[in-house]
Amino acid sequence: MASRVLLQCVRSLGRPSLRLSSANLAVRAAAAPAAAHRPLSFAADSRRPRWLGRSPIPSVGVLCRQYGDLPPLTLETIKDRVMYVLKLYDKINPEKLQTSSHFMKDLGLDSLDQVEIIMAMEDEFGFEIPDAEAEKLMSPAEIVQYIADKKDVYE
Amino acid sequence: MTISRLPTAALSLKQFLQRQRILGIYRNMLKTIRQVPSEGDRKYLRDWARDEFKRNKSATNPDAIRMMVSQANNHLEELQKSLALARS
Repeated sequence: MASRVLLQCVRSLGRPSLRLSSANLAVRAAAAPAAAHRPLSFAADSRRPRWLGRSPIPSVGVLCRQYGDLPPLTLETIKDRVMYVLKLYDKINPEKLQTSSHFMKDLGLDSLDQVEIIMAMEDEFGFEIPDAEAEKLMSPAEIVQYIADKKDVYE
Repeated sequence: MTISRLPTAALSLKQFLQRQRILGIYRNMLKTIRQVPSEGDRKYLRDWARDEFKRNKSATNPDAIRMMVSQANNHLEELQKSLALARS
């Protein structure tokens, strides 16, 4: 995979510098399906951009511009993070938890717990969820869908 | 008149609004507690707020409920004022 990254960077040298940043994104996207066989955990995602940044040959590194940003969200990563946060919540039994489990009907939580869960999601993803929409989110699947809508994640 | 797990169709409009208001107060309280500087204090306050709300979850007397709501609002204002002072 390292050689593929290098080839892409070297190839992008020929193109005008304006397209270098998009070439980097293309490299990242190309690396993603290659890494599909690895478990797509959030940790792996965060490791990948850093590792790409350290790709060797200093001259290539100088000309390949790297912009700082969080790793792109996918439905899969959103779902993993939501389930991870829910498993950490002490009132939820991790064995019974599934993406379709309703907080109140299946997991036996009440509205105060639901408020806490939505606050935890706000902390995890770093953006505010207004009250009106927060009270409607009653299962992990709905939360994932809402976040995907808000963050314009490719569906 | 409870913040309970009953389907919301069982509540009247007034009760429904009150429930929403109380959940809003709980939310604001949790948001304010987030801004407290020390982690230990934050945990203590979060547990305190949780216990308070849960303990009075099944109150039925409307006067008692209103009193508790205004008490919660007072606590919230106090907390916000102390945080503003601490920051300045």
